[in-house]
Amino acid sequence: MTVLILTCEEDVTADMVVVHLNAAGVPVVRLDPADLTHSVALSGEYVHGAFRGHLSSAGRLVSLDGLRSVWVRRPGEAAARAAQPSAWLTEEASQALYGMLRGTGARWMNHPDASRRARYKPWQLRLAQLSGLPVPATIVTTFPQAAREFADRYPDLVVKPVSGAHPQDPPRAVPTTRVPPGADFAAVAYGPTLLQRRVAKRADIRLTAVGDRILAARKETAPGGDPDVVDVRYSPSTAPWRPADVPPRLAEAVRRYLREAELAYGAFDFAEDADGTWWFLECNQSGQFGFVEVDTGQPIARTIAQWLADAPPERDARQPDRCDSTAS
Amino acid sequence: MQPFTLNYARPAAELEFSTPYAYDPGMQLNVTLDGRIAARDHALLRELGTTTSTAGSKTHFDD
Repeated sequence: MTVLILTCEEDVTADMVVVHLNAAGVPVVRLDPADLTHSVALSGEYVHGAFRGHLSSAGRLVSLDGLRSVWVRRPGEAAARAAQPSAWLTEEASQALYGMLRGTGARWMNHPDASRRARYKPWQLRLAQLSGLPVPATIVTTFPQAAREFADRYPDLVVKPVSGAHPQDPPRAVPTTRVPPGADFAAVAYGPTLLQRRVAKRADIRLTAVGDRILAARKETAPGGDPDVVDVRYSPSTAPWRPADVPPRLAEAVRRYLREAELAYGAFDFAEDADGTWWFLECNQSGQFGFVEVDTGQPIARTIAQWLADAPPERDARQPDRCDSTAS
Repeated sequence: MQPFTLNYARPAAELEFSTPYAYDPGMQLNVTLDGRIAARDHALLRELGTTTSTAGSKTHFDD
């Protein structure tokens, strides 16, 4: 049984997992859907009440009923590198590939439906609350007055994109940024704005969950650091990530979150305050983990490889899949 | 008419990035010029930051 990895060639983080799968003797087919019709091919037929299909890439051929798991890591847009790419062809190729894969009994990390839903930050915040994770006071609004009133209640705020996406034309990044006192909130009317109480943090926490396995790492905030630098991704800090113990109640809440989100993998970001409370910031369903493993030596790649290598669930192959592939 | 959030935007990180390894379709891994598997060289990964969580990062759009 084969592990199918959907990702781009330059994804060296996926390599870290492939190395472990190779060592365990687990067959792997890695391809980028962007290469469909160029160097990746597919075929599936529905005849006499049965489905048979296969994929080929770089000289490898895999039967779709021989897949044990599908890891959706960093796939490109389907057929993006075809000889004559188009939005239509991308949709056709995407429907063909993912539609056929959904008809297999393979386990997903993560299922496309669960992934899509998990990207909604407002949904994340609500699910975190319901799961028992501490969530900083947050507002998402297009009402300038609501933003002003929120700022009155919580004078120390950060702003971040609702979607996490970055604007283009020209390309820009929008890090989580502290809102200065006396900010003019009139422009809130021109786009949904996410404002959140700033957590005066003493450390950033990156918690990586793979199935039921939870591995947390902690990066201390530099003493005397600039309180205006909120986003760890833009922090000049050179402090290393170190392994951290996860409070049992928080671990339970994380597992509850993953179960409800139907995710097999999640990279959680928390801000640790002076009391030691871990405040939920977000859960990225495809978050990076290589940098944590490199610093801490935690076996994240090996754990992912083990999850992917587990046997697929017993199921009636005639049934289309469901978005419930989170069992560890 | 610019949304409030974009008041805090900054130029994106440079996305063009050259790595001292290349993808080997036969191995399904990235390999350095002298034939080593890049993923096994944690010092190299740390130096390049290619596995790092960075918005607008060198190789990925999200993290």
